Amino acid sequence: MQKWMWILWPSFIIAGVAEGIFFSLVNPQELYFLGDPVHYSAIATYSIGFLAFWMVCACSSFLTWSLQRPAGEVNARG
Amino acid sequence: MNLSPQQQKIIEIVPQGAPSIVEESLFEVRKKIYPRAVTGLFARWRWGMVIFTQLLFYGLCWVPWNDRQAVLFNIVERKFYLFGLVLWPQDVFYLAILLIISAFSLFLFTAVAGRLWCGFACPQTVYTEVFLWIERVFEGDRGARMKLDSGDMSQVKLLRKGGKVLTWALLAAWTGFTFVGYFTPIHELWGEVWNFRLGPWESFWLCFYSAFTYLNAGHMREQVCKYMCPYARFQGVMFDPDTLVITYDTERGDPRGSRKKGIDPRSEGKGDCVDCQICVQVCPTGIDIRDGLQYECIGCAACIDACDQVMEKMNYPKGLIRYSTENALSQHWGWREILRHVVRPRVLIYMGILSIVVSAFLFGLLTKSSLQVNVIRDRGIMGREVEGGLIENVFRLQVMNVSEHYQFYAVKVEGLPGIKLASDHVIELPAESSRVFTFEVRADPESGKPGSNPISFEIESLLGDAEAHEKATFFIPR
Ligand code: SF4
Ligand code: SF4
Repeated sequence: MQKWMWILWPSFIIAGVAEGIFFSLVNPQELYFLGDPVHYSAIATYSIGFLAFWMVCACSSFLTWSLQRPAGEVNARG
Repeated sequence: MNLSPQQQKIIEIVPQGAPSIVEESLFEVRKKIYPRAVTGLFARWRWGMVIFTQLLFYGLCWVPWNDRQAVLFNIVERKFYLFGLVLWPQDVFYLAILLIISAFSLFLFTAVAGRLWCGFACPQTVYTEVFLWIERVFEGDRGARMKLDSGDMSQVKLLRKGGKVLTWALLAAWTGFTFVGYFTPIHELWGEVWNFRLGPWESFWLCFYSAFTYLNAGHMREQVCKYMCPYARFQGVMFDPDTLVITYDTERGDPRGSRKKGIDPRSEGKGDCVDCQICVQVCPTGIDIRDGLQYECIGCAACIDACDQVMEKMNYPKGLIRYSTENALSQHWGWREILRHVVRPRVLIYMGILSIVVSAFLFGLLTKSSLQVNVIRDRGIMGREVEGGLIENVFRLQVMNVSEHYQFYAVKVEGLPGIKLASDHVIELPAESSRVFTFEVRADPESGKPGSNPISFEIESLLGDAEAHEKATFFIPR
Protein backbone atom coordinates (compact mmCIF):
# COMPACT_ATOMS: atom_id res chain seq x y z
CA MET A 1 0.00 0.00 0.00
CA GLN A 2 2.73 2.44 0.99
CA LYS A 3 4.57 1.66 -2.22
CA TRP A 4 1.48 2.56 -4.23
CA MET A 5 1.11 5.87 -2.45
CA TRP A 6 4.70 6.76 -3.30
CA ILE A 7 3.94 5.99 -6.93
CA LEU A 8 0.43 7.40 -7.28
CA TRP A 9 0.67 10.56 -5.24
CA PRO A 10 3.60 12.44 -6.83
CA SER A 11 2.31 11.46 -10.26
CA PHE A 12 -1.11 12.82 -9.31
CA ILE A 13 0.35 16.23 -8.53
CA ILE A 14 2.40 16.41 -11.70
CA ALA A 15 -0.50 15.11 -13.80
CA GLY A 16 -2.59 17.97 -12.39
CA VAL A 17 0.05 20.49 -13.39
CA ALA A 18 0.49 18.94 -16.85
CA GLU A 19 -3.27 18.86 -17.37
CA GLY A 20 -3.55 22.52 -16.43
CA ILE A 21 -0.80 23.64 -18.77
CA PHE A 22 -1.79 21.38 -21.65
CA PHE A 23 -5.47 22.23 -21.73
CA SER A 24 -5.05 25.92 -21.16
CA LEU A 25 -3.01 25.95 -24.35
CA VAL A 26 -4.93 23.35 -26.36
CA ASN A 27 -8.66 23.30 -26.97
CA PRO A 28 -9.97 19.75 -26.48
CA GLN A 29 -12.44 20.28 -29.32
CA GLU A 30 -9.58 20.79 -31.74
CA LEU A 31 -7.72 17.58 -30.97
CA TYR A 32 -7.34 14.69 -33.35
CA PHE A 33 -7.16 11.11 -32.19
CA LEU A 34 -5.82 8.57 -34.72
CA GLY A 35 -6.73 10.97 -37.52
CA ASP A 36 -10.31 11.60 -36.40
CA PRO A 37 -11.48 14.68 -34.55
CA VAL A 38 -12.10 13.97 -30.88
CA HIS A 39 -15.86 13.85 -30.49
CA TYR A 40 -16.23 13.33 -26.73
CA SER A 41 -17.72 16.04 -24.56
CA ALA A 42 -15.22 18.54 -23.22
CA ILE A 43 -15.42 17.20 -19.68
CA ALA A 44 -14.82 13.64 -20.88
CA THR A 45 -11.77 14.76 -22.87
CA TYR A 46 -10.38 16.63 -19.89
CA SER A 47 -10.94 13.66 -17.63
CA ILE A 48 -9.45 11.12 -20.00
CA GLY A 49 -6.56 13.51 -20.56
CA PHE A 50 -5.97 13.74 -16.84
CA LEU A 51 -6.11 10.00 -16.31
CA ALA A 52 -3.69 9.51 -19.19
CA PHE A 53 -1.26 12.08 -17.77
CA TRP A 54 -1.59 10.39 -14.40
CA MET A 55 -0.77 7.00 -15.86
CA VAL A 56 2.30 8.26 -17.70
CA CYS A 57 3.55 10.05 -14.59
CA ALA A 58 2.84 6.98 -12.49
CA CYS A 59 5.03 4.90 -14.80
CA SER A 60 7.85 7.34 -14.20
CA SER A 61 7.30 7.22 -10.44
CA PHE A 62 7.22 3.46 -10.59
CA LEU A 63 10.58 3.40 -12.34
CA THR A 64 12.04 5.80 -9.79
CA TRP A 65 10.73 3.60 -7.02
CA SER A 66 12.16 0.43 -8.58
CA LEU A 67 15.54 1.90 -9.34
CA GLN A 68 16.14 3.42 -5.93
CA ARG A 69 15.57 0.19 -4.02
CA PRO A 70 18.70 -0.85 -2.15
CA ALA A 71 20.58 -3.86 -3.51
CA GLY A 72 19.78 -6.02 -0.51
CA GLU A 73 16.09 -5.63 -1.01
CA VAL A 74 16.29 -6.47 -4.71
CA ASN A 75 18.40 -9.58 -4.01
CA ALA A 76 16.09 -10.76 -1.29
CA ARG A 77 13.02 -10.65 -3.48
CA GLY A 78 14.65 -11.52 -6.77
CA MET B 1 -5.08 34.53 38.00
CA ASN B 2 -8.43 32.87 38.51
CA LEU B 3 -9.32 30.06 36.17
CA SER B 4 -12.85 28.85 35.62
CA PRO B 5 -13.39 25.17 36.42
CA GLN B 6 -13.70 24.48 32.72
CA GLN B 7 -10.31 25.96 31.93
CA GLN B 8 -8.79 24.02 34.74
CA LYS B 9 -10.18 20.88 33.28
CA ILE B 10 -8.47 21.58 30.01
CA ILE B 11 -5.03 21.56 31.53
CA GLU B 12 -5.66 18.68 33.82
CA ILE B 13 -3.19 15.92 33.22
CA VAL B 14 -4.51 12.79 31.62
CA PRO B 15 -2.96 9.57 32.84
CA GLN B 16 -0.69 8.13 30.20
CA GLY B 17 -1.87 4.58 30.89
CA ALA B 18 -4.23 4.35 27.94
CA PRO B 19 -2.70 1.98 25.37
CA SER B 20 -1.80 3.73 22.14
CA ILE B 21 -3.47 2.56 19.00
CA VAL B 22 -1.11 1.52 16.26
CA GLU B 23 -2.56 1.38 12.81
CA GLU B 24 -1.15 0.67 9.39
CA SER B 25 -2.01 3.65 7.33
CA LEU B 26 -1.32 4.69 3.75
CA PHE B 27 2.18 5.97 4.40
CA GLU B 28 3.44 4.45 7.60
CA VAL B 29 2.73 2.21 10.46
CA ARG B 30 1.80 5.02 12.75
CA LYS B 31 0.70 5.66 16.23
CA LYS B 32 -2.70 7.23 15.96
CA ILE B 33 -2.59 10.81 17.15
CA TYR B 34 -5.31 12.08 19.43
CA PRO B 35 -4.88 15.83 19.55
CA ARG B 36 -6.26 17.32 22.74
CA ALA B 37 -8.60 20.31 22.39
CA VAL B 38 -6.97 23.64 23.01
CA THR B 39 -8.26 27.15 23.70
CA GLY B 40 -6.51 30.48 23.62
CA LEU B 41 -5.43 33.33 21.43
CA PHE B 42 -4.05 31.28 18.55
CA ALA B 43 -6.91 28.81 18.67
CA ARG B 44 -9.24 31.76 18.17
CA TRP B 45 -7.17 32.91 15.19
CA ARG B 46 -7.28 29.44 13.73
CA TRP B 47 -11.03 29.23 14.06
CA GLY B 48 -11.36 32.73 12.65
CA MET B 49 -9.47 31.59 9.59
CA VAL B 50 -11.54 28.40 9.33
CA ILE B 51 -14.73 30.44 9.29
CA PHE B 52 -13.36 33.04 6.90
CA THR B 53 -11.93 30.60 4.34
CA GLN B 54 -14.92 28.30 4.44
CA LEU B 55 -17.51 31.07 4.11
CA LEU B 56 -15.51 32.12 1.07
CA PHE B 57 -15.23 28.61 -0.37
CA TYR B 58 -18.76 27.37 0.27
CA GLY B 59 -20.37 30.75 -0.44
CA LEU B 60 -18.57 32.34 -3.36
CA CYS B 61 -19.79 29.83 -5.92
CA TRP B 62 -23.40 30.90 -5.23
CA VAL B 63 -22.80 34.63 -5.69
CA PRO B 64 -24.38 35.95 -8.90
CA TRP B 65 -22.88 38.60 -11.18
CA ASN B 66 -24.52 39.93 -14.37
CA ASP B 67 -26.89 36.93 -14.55
CA ARG B 68 -24.05 34.46 -14.20
CA GLN B 69 -21.93 32.91 -11.51
CA ALA B 70 -19.45 35.49 -10.20
CA VAL B 71 -16.54 33.06 -9.89
CA LEU B 72 -16.57 30.19 -12.34
CA PHE B 73 -13.85 28.35 -14.17
CA ASN B 74 -16.03 27.12 -16.95
CA ILE B 75 -13.84 24.43 -18.44
CA VAL B 76 -16.42 23.37 -21.01
CA GLU B 77 -16.72 26.83 -22.57
CA ARG B 78 -13.10 27.55 -21.73
CA LYS B 79 -13.84 30.86 -20.02
CA PHE B 80 -12.84 31.94 -16.55
CA TYR B 81 -15.10 34.38 -14.79
CA LEU B 82 -13.79 36.37 -11.85
CA PHE B 83 -16.48 38.94 -11.04
CA GLY B 84 -16.21 41.57 -13.80
CA LEU B 85 -13.22 39.89 -15.39
CA VAL B 86 -13.61 37.28 -18.11
CA LEU B 87 -10.49 35.36 -19.09
CA TRP B 88 -10.33 33.51 -22.40
CA PRO B 89 -7.87 30.82 -23.38
CA GLN B 90 -5.58 33.46 -24.90
CA ASP B 91 -5.44 35.16 -21.48
CA VAL B 92 -3.77 32.17 -19.87
CA PHE B 93 -0.90 34.57 -19.25
CA TYR B 94 -2.94 36.26 -16.51
CA LEU B 95 -3.51 32.96 -14.76
CA ALA B 96 0.19 32.20 -14.92
CA ILE B 97 0.94 35.58 -13.35
CA LEU B 98 -1.65 34.95 -10.65
CA LEU B 99 0.14 31.71 -9.82
CA ILE B 100 3.50 33.48 -9.67
CA ILE B 101 1.99 36.09 -7.35
CA SER B 102 0.64 33.38 -5.05
CA ALA B 103 3.98 31.59 -5.02
CA PHE B 104 5.94 34.71 -4.12
CA SER B 105 3.44 35.73 -1.45
CA LEU B 106 3.95 32.30 0.03
CA PHE B 107 7.74 32.72 -0.08
CA LEU B 108 7.44 36.11 1.57
CA PHE B 109 5.16 34.91 4.36
CA THR B 110 7.38 31.93 4.96
CA ALA B 111 10.55 33.98 5.16
CA VAL B 112 9.00 36.38 7.65
CA ALA B 113 6.89 34.14 9.85
CA GLY B 114 7.43 30.52 8.93
CA ARG B 115 4.56 28.23 8.15
CA LEU B 116 1.72 30.68 8.64
CA TRP B 117 0.01 29.21 5.60
CA CYS B 118 0.19 25.66 6.98
CA GLY B 119 -1.02 26.53 10.43
CA PHE B 120 -3.85 28.86 9.58
CA ALA B 121 -4.97 28.76 5.97
CA CYS B 122 -4.08 25.48 4.26
CA PRO B 123 -7.21 23.49 3.36
CA GLN B 124 -5.57 20.44 4.89
CA THR B 125 -5.31 22.16 8.27
CA VAL B 126 -8.69 23.80 7.99
CA TYR B 127 -10.57 20.59 7.14
CA THR B 128 -8.64 18.59 9.70
CA GLU B 129 -9.65 21.18 12.29
CA VAL B 130 -13.31 20.91 11.27
CA PHE B 131 -13.26 17.12 11.11
CA LEU B 132 -11.54 16.95 14.49
CA TRP B 133 -14.20 19.19 15.93
CA ILE B 134 -16.91 16.84 14.63
CA GLU B 135 -14.98 13.93 16.09
CA ARG B 136 -14.84 15.70 19.44
CA VAL B 137 -18.58 16.36 19.38
CA PHE B 138 -19.30 12.65 18.90
CA GLU B 139 -16.45 10.99 20.77
CA GLY B 140 -15.24 13.53 23.28
CA ASP B 141 -11.75 14.91 23.84
CA ARG B 142 -8.42 13.10 23.72
CA GLY B 143 -8.82 10.90 26.78
CA ALA B 144 -12.36 9.85 25.91
CA ARG B 145 -11.40 9.06 22.33
CA MET B 146 -8.46 6.92 23.40
CA LYS B 147 -10.67 5.01 25.77
CA LEU B 148 -13.35 4.57 23.14
CA ASP B 149 -10.85 3.26 20.59
CA SER B 150 -9.21 0.79 22.91
CA GLY B 151 -12.51 -0.46 24.32
CA ASP B 152 -14.63 -3.27 22.91
CA MET B 153 -17.33 -2.62 20.36
CA SER B 154 -20.53 -1.66 22.09
CA GLN B 155 -23.76 0.02 21.17
CA VAL B 156 -22.50 3.35 22.44
CA LYS B 157 -19.28 3.02 20.49
CA LEU B 158 -21.18 2.09 17.35
CA LEU B 159 -23.49 5.08 17.72
CA ARG B 160 -20.67 7.51 18.37
CA LYS B 161 -18.51 6.23 15.55
CA GLY B 162 -21.47 5.96 13.17
CA GLY B 163 -22.62 9.50 13.88
CA LYS B 164 -19.13 10.80 13.27
CA VAL B 165 -18.68 8.92 10.02
CA LEU B 166 -22.06 10.05 8.73
CA THR B 167 -21.41 13.71 9.54
CA TRP B 168 -17.96 13.49 7.99
CA ALA B 169 -19.40 11.93 4.86
CA LEU B 170 -22.07 14.63 4.51
CA LEU B 171 -19.54 17.41 4.91
CA ALA B 172 -17.15 15.73 2.48
CA ALA B 173 -19.91 15.30 -0.09
CA TRP B 174 -20.85 18.96 0.20
CA THR B 175 -17.21 19.93 -0.20
CA GLY B 176 -16.87 17.77 -3.31
CA PHE B 177 -20.04 19.27 -4.76
CA THR B 178 -18.85 22.81 -4.07
CA PHE B 179 -15.50 22.07 -5.65
CA VAL B 180 -17.04 20.76 -8.86
CA GLY B 181 -19.38 23.78 -8.73
CA TYR B 182 -16.43 26.05 -9.44
CA PHE B 183 -15.87 24.28 -12.75
CA THR B 184 -19.43 23.68 -13.94
CA PRO B 185 -22.21 26.23 -13.29
CA ILE B 186 -23.34 25.32 -9.79
CA HIS B 187 -27.07 25.94 -10.26
CA GLU B 188 -27.16 23.51 -13.18
CA LEU B 189 -25.09 21.03 -11.21
CA TRP B 190 -27.49 21.29 -8.30
CA GLY B 191 -30.45 20.55 -10.60
CA GLU B 192 -28.61 17.61 -12.14
CA VAL B 193 -27.82 16.12 -8.76
CA TRP B 194 -31.43 16.24 -7.63
CA ASN B 195 -32.84 14.90 -10.88
CA PHE B 196 -30.20 12.15 -11.05
CA ARG B 197 -29.03 13.45 -14.40
CA LEU B 198 -25.39 13.94 -13.48
CA GLY B 199 -23.06 12.90 -16.30
CA PRO B 200 -20.67 10.01 -15.64
CA TRP B 201 -17.57 12.21 -15.47
CA GLU B 202 -19.16 14.80 -13.24
CA SER B 203 -20.27 12.04 -10.89
CA PHE B 204 -16.79 10.62 -10.96
CA TRP B 205 -15.12 13.90 -10.00
CA LEU B 206 -17.73 14.66 -7.40
CA CYS B 207 -17.14 11.32 -5.69
CA PHE B 208 -13.40 11.63 -6.16
CA TYR B 209 -13.13 14.97 -4.40
CA SER B 210 -15.54 13.96 -1.67
CA ALA B 211 -13.54 10.83 -0.96
CA PHE B 212 -10.35 12.85 -1.10
CA THR B 213 -11.64 15.30 1.51
CA TYR B 214 -12.94 12.52 3.72
CA LEU B 215 -9.70 10.56 3.66
CA ASN B 216 -7.37 13.53 4.00
CA ALA B 217 -9.20 15.30 6.80
CA GLY B 218 -10.62 12.27 8.55
CA HIS B 219 -7.84 9.70 8.35
CA MET B 220 -4.61 10.92 6.80
CA ARG B 221 -4.39 14.23 8.66
CA GLU B 222 -0.80 14.93 9.72
CA GLN B 223 0.45 12.32 7.23
CA VAL B 224 -0.58 14.61 4.39
CA CYS B 225 1.71 17.28 5.82
CA LYS B 226 4.48 14.83 6.59
CA TYR B 227 4.54 12.70 3.45
CA MET B 228 2.37 14.22 0.74
CA CYS B 229 2.92 17.95 0.82
CA PRO B 230 5.72 19.26 -1.43
CA TYR B 231 5.68 22.63 0.32
CA ALA B 232 6.48 21.02 3.66
CA ARG B 233 9.63 19.60 2.12
CA PHE B 234 10.74 22.82 0.46
CA GLN B 235 9.76 25.44 3.01
CA GLY B 236 13.05 25.05 4.89
CA VAL B 237 14.80 26.72 1.94
CA MET B 238 12.95 29.97 2.68
CA PHE B 239 13.87 29.95 6.36
CA ASP B 240 16.79 31.86 7.81
CA PRO B 241 17.90 32.65 11.38
CA ASP B 242 15.57 35.66 11.45
CA THR B 243 12.43 33.76 10.48
CA LEU B 244 9.75 33.68 13.15
CA VAL B 245 9.11 30.11 14.18
CA ILE B 246 7.46 28.39 17.09
CA THR B 247 10.16 27.67 19.61
CA TYR B 248 10.58 26.22 23.04
CA ASP B 249 12.92 28.34 25.14
CA THR B 250 15.34 25.62 26.23
CA GLU B 251 17.42 27.93 28.34
CA ARG B 252 14.44 28.95 30.37
CA GLY B 253 12.61 25.63 30.44
CA ASP B 254 15.35 23.07 31.09
CA PRO B 255 16.04 21.07 33.17
CA ARG B 256 12.43 19.93 33.10
CA GLY B 257 10.59 18.27 35.92
CA SER B 258 7.52 18.28 38.09
CA ARG B 259 7.45 20.39 41.19
CA LYS B 260 5.09 21.62 43.82
CA LYS B 261 3.23 24.82 43.01
CA GLY B 262 4.68 27.93 44.61
CA ILE B 263 8.20 26.57 44.92
CA ASP B 264 10.95 28.49 43.16
CA PRO B 265 12.12 25.98 40.54
CA ARG B 266 15.68 27.35 40.57
CA SER B 267 15.97 26.30 44.20
CA GLU B 268 15.46 22.73 43.01
CA GLY B 269 17.79 23.25 40.09
CA LYS B 270 14.93 23.12 37.60
CA GLY B 271 13.80 25.30 34.73
CA ASP B 272 10.25 26.48 34.05
CA CYS B 273 9.02 23.40 32.14
CA VAL B 274 6.95 21.22 34.45
CA ASP B 275 7.16 18.35 31.95
CA CYS B 276 3.39 17.98 31.85
CA GLN B 277 3.45 16.88 28.17
CA ILE B 278 0.44 19.03 27.37
CA CYS B 279 2.26 20.64 24.46
CA VAL B 280 2.80 17.19 23.00
CA GLN B 281 -0.79 16.15 23.55
CA VAL B 282 -2.27 19.12 21.72
CA CYS B 283 0.08 18.83 18.76
CA PRO B 284 -1.81 17.68 15.67
CA THR B 285 1.35 16.19 14.21
CA GLY B 286 2.31 14.43 17.41
CA ILE B 287 5.77 15.92 17.84
CA ASP B 288 7.50 17.35 20.87
CA ILE B 289 8.38 20.96 20.09
CA ARG B 290 10.88 20.87 22.96
CA ASP B 291 13.15 18.77 20.73
CA GLY B 292 13.66 21.82 18.54
CA LEU B 293 12.36 22.92 15.16
CA GLN B 294 11.21 19.96 13.10
CA TYR B 295 9.88 19.82 9.57
CA GLU B 296 6.77 18.06 10.89
CA CYS B 297 5.76 21.19 12.81
CA ILE B 298 3.04 22.93 10.83
CA GLY B 299 3.23 26.09 12.91
CA CYS B 300 -0.30 25.86 14.23
CA ALA B 301 0.68 27.42 17.59
CA ALA B 302 -1.53 25.00 19.53
CA CYS B 303 1.42 24.26 21.79
CA ILE B 304 1.84 27.97 22.55
CA ASP B 305 -1.75 28.25 23.76
CA ALA B 306 -1.43 25.05 25.75
CA CYS B 307 1.83 25.93 27.45
CA ASP B 308 0.69 29.47 28.20
CA GLN B 309 -2.20 28.02 30.18
CA VAL B 310 0.19 25.86 32.15
CA MET B 311 2.48 28.82 32.80
CA GLU B 312 -0.50 30.86 33.94
CA LYS B 313 -1.55 28.14 36.32
CA MET B 314 1.96 27.95 37.72
CA ASN B 315 2.16 31.75 38.00
CA TYR B 316 5.16 31.82 35.66
CA PRO B 317 5.45 34.33 32.86
CA LYS B 318 3.89 33.16 29.60
CA GLY B 319 5.86 32.38 26.48
CA LEU B 320 7.99 29.37 27.40
CA ILE B 321 6.88 28.22 23.96
CA ARG B 322 6.44 31.24 21.69
CA TYR B 323 6.99 32.77 18.29
CA SER B 324 10.63 33.71 18.14
CA THR B 325 13.63 33.54 15.84
CA GLU B 326 16.83 31.58 16.04
CA ASN B 327 18.83 34.79 16.44
CA ALA B 328 16.46 36.26 18.98
CA LEU B 329 16.69 33.18 21.13
CA SER B 330 20.45 32.94 21.11
CA GLN B 331 20.97 36.67 21.58
CA HIS B 332 18.07 37.32 23.93
CA TRP B 333 16.39 39.84 21.71
CA GLY B 334 13.08 41.44 22.55
CA TRP B 335 10.22 42.07 20.14
CA ARG B 336 11.59 45.37 18.96
CA GLU B 337 14.85 43.76 17.91
CA ILE B 338 13.00 40.92 16.17
CA LEU B 339 10.85 43.37 14.22
CA ARG B 340 13.95 45.33 13.21
CA HIS B 341 15.33 42.18 11.63
CA VAL B 342 12.24 41.56 9.53
CA VAL B 343 13.66 43.94 6.95
CA ARG B 344 16.57 42.02 5.45
CA PRO B 345 17.84 41.24 1.93
CA ARG B 346 15.82 38.05 1.48
CA VAL B 347 12.59 39.74 2.45
CA LEU B 348 13.36 42.81 0.35
CA ILE B 349 14.10 40.66 -2.69
CA TYR B 350 10.82 38.74 -2.33
CA MET B 351 8.95 42.00 -1.83
CA GLY B 352 10.66 43.58 -4.85
CA ILE B 353 9.79 40.71 -7.17
CA LEU B 354 6.27 40.59 -5.80
CA SER B 355 5.63 44.27 -6.34
CA ILE B 356 6.97 44.14 -9.90
CA VAL B 357 4.78 41.17 -10.79
CA VAL B 358 1.71 42.65 -9.10
CA SER B 359 2.13 45.96 -10.94
CA ALA B 360 2.58 44.16 -14.25
CA PHE B 361 -0.58 42.20 -13.54
CA LEU B 362 -2.61 45.27 -12.64
CA PHE B 363 -1.28 47.17 -15.63
CA GLY B 364 -2.21 44.28 -17.90
CA LEU B 365 -5.71 44.08 -16.44
CA LEU B 366 -6.37 47.80 -16.63
CA THR B 367 -5.24 48.08 -20.22
CA LYS B 368 -6.86 44.81 -21.28
CA SER B 369 -9.12 45.45 -24.24
CA SER B 370 -12.55 43.87 -24.52
CA LEU B 371 -11.97 43.60 -28.27
CA GLN B 372 -9.43 41.32 -29.88
CA VAL B 373 -8.61 41.10 -33.54
CA ASN B 374 -6.37 38.77 -35.50
CA VAL B 375 -5.69 39.08 -39.20
CA ILE B 376 -5.72 35.73 -40.97
CA ARG B 377 -4.10 36.33 -44.32
CA ASP B 378 -5.27 34.08 -47.13
CA ARG B 379 -2.02 32.83 -48.59
CA GLY B 380 -3.62 31.53 -51.77
CA ILE B 381 -5.08 34.73 -53.18
CA MET B 382 -2.68 37.59 -53.51
CA GLY B 383 -3.66 40.93 -54.98
CA ARG B 384 -5.91 40.92 -58.02
CA GLU B 385 -7.12 43.63 -60.34
CA VAL B 386 -10.75 44.72 -60.18
CA GLU B 387 -12.85 47.32 -62.01
CA GLY B 388 -11.51 50.85 -62.20
CA GLY B 389 -7.89 49.63 -62.30
CA LEU B 390 -7.83 49.09 -58.54
CA ILE B 391 -6.05 46.29 -56.72
CA GLU B 392 -8.09 44.19 -54.31
CA ASN B 393 -6.78 42.10 -51.41
CA VAL B 394 -9.03 39.87 -49.34
CA PHE B 395 -8.45 39.68 -45.61
CA ARG B 396 -10.08 37.52 -43.04
CA LEU B 397 -10.26 38.99 -39.56
CA GLN B 398 -11.07 37.03 -36.50
CA VAL B 399 -12.88 39.45 -34.22
CA MET B 400 -13.56 38.58 -30.64
CA ASN B 401 -15.96 40.49 -28.43
CA VAL B 402 -14.77 39.70 -24.92
CA SER B 403 -17.16 42.20 -23.30
CA GLU B 404 -20.47 41.22 -21.81
CA HIS B 405 -22.58 43.38 -24.19
CA TYR B 406 -23.78 43.08 -27.77
CA GLN B 407 -21.39 45.24 -29.78
CA PHE B 408 -21.26 47.09 -33.08
CA TYR B 409 -17.82 47.88 -34.43
CA ALA B 410 -16.75 50.35 -37.12
CA VAL B 411 -13.93 49.06 -39.32
CA LYS B 412 -11.46 51.26 -41.23
CA VAL B 413 -8.25 50.60 -43.16
CA GLU B 414 -5.31 52.96 -43.22
CA GLY B 415 -1.77 53.00 -44.53
CA LEU B 416 -2.00 53.82 -48.25
CA PRO B 417 -3.48 56.95 -49.86
CA GLY B 418 -7.06 56.27 -50.96
CA ILE B 419 -7.17 52.74 -49.54
CA LYS B 420 -10.71 51.70 -48.65
CA LEU B 421 -12.99 48.84 -47.75
CA ALA B 422 -15.21 47.46 -50.47
CA SER B 423 -17.30 45.52 -47.97
CA ASP B 424 -19.35 46.47 -44.88
CA HIS B 425 -17.92 49.09 -42.60
CA VAL B 426 -19.88 48.05 -39.55
CA ILE B 427 -19.93 44.58 -38.06
CA GLU B 428 -21.85 43.26 -35.09
CA LEU B 429 -21.08 40.60 -32.54
CA PRO B 430 -23.04 39.21 -29.59
CA ALA B 431 -21.48 39.32 -26.12
CA GLU B 432 -18.59 36.94 -25.48
CA SER B 433 -18.34 35.58 -28.96
CA SER B 434 -15.93 35.53 -31.82
CA ARG B 435 -16.40 35.28 -35.59
CA VAL B 436 -14.35 35.50 -38.72
CA PHE B 437 -15.28 38.35 -41.08
CA THR B 438 -14.08 38.75 -44.64
CA PHE B 439 -13.03 42.16 -45.89
CA GLU B 440 -12.23 43.22 -49.44
CA VAL B 441 -9.74 46.05 -49.42
CA ARG B 442 -9.04 48.13 -52.52
CA ALA B 443 -6.32 50.59 -53.39
CA ASP B 444 -4.80 52.28 -56.41
CA PRO B 445 -1.68 50.35 -57.58
CA GLU B 446 0.12 53.71 -57.89
CA SER B 447 -0.46 54.48 -54.21
CA GLY B 448 2.15 52.00 -53.04
CA LYS B 449 5.18 50.08 -54.24
CA PRO B 450 4.88 46.71 -55.98
CA GLY B 451 5.01 43.90 -53.42
CA SER B 452 4.06 44.18 -49.75
CA ASN B 453 2.80 47.43 -48.26
CA PRO B 454 2.12 47.80 -44.56
CA ILE B 455 -1.45 48.79 -43.74
CA SER B 456 -3.53 48.58 -40.60
CA PHE B 457 -7.10 47.86 -39.63
CA GLU B 458 -8.67 50.25 -37.14
CA ILE B 459 -11.65 48.74 -35.35
CA GLU B 460 -13.65 50.72 -32.87
CA SER B 461 -16.69 49.90 -30.81
CA LEU B 462 -19.64 52.20 -31.48
CA LEU B 463 -20.20 52.25 -27.73
CA GLY B 464 -16.76 53.79 -27.55
CA ASP B 465 -15.47 51.32 -24.97
CA ALA B 466 -12.95 49.40 -27.05
CA GLU B 467 -10.68 49.77 -30.01
CA ALA B 468 -8.05 47.69 -31.75
CA HIS B 469 -5.34 48.29 -34.31
CA GLU B 470 -4.13 45.36 -36.27
CA LYS B 471 -1.26 45.40 -38.72
CA ALA B 472 -1.54 43.68 -42.12
CA THR B 473 0.21 43.79 -45.46
CA PHE B 474 -1.40 44.85 -48.70
CA PHE B 475 0.02 43.15 -51.77
CA ILE B 476 0.34 44.98 -55.08
CA PRO B 477 1.32 42.73 -58.01
CA ARG B 478 4.01 43.94 -60.37
S1 SF4 C 1 6.74 23.08 27.49
FE1 SF4 C 1 4.94 23.80 28.65
S2 SF4 C 1 3.26 22.49 27.99
FE2 SF4 C 1 5.18 21.49 27.36
S3 SF4 C 1 5.65 20.08 28.99
FE3 SF4 C 1 6.77 21.96 29.45
S4 SF4 C 1 5.35 23.12 30.73
FE4 SF4 C 1 4.13 21.49 29.82
S1 SF4 D 1 4.81 21.65 17.52
FE1 SF4 D 1 3.27 23.17 18.15
S2 SF4 D 1 3.08 24.53 16.38
FE2 SF4 D 1 4.14 22.71 15.68
S3 SF4 D 1 2.52 21.43 14.87
FE3 SF4 D 1 2.82 20.80 17.00
S4 SF4 D 1 1.36 22.04 18.15
FE4 SF4 D 1 1.51 22.96 16.14
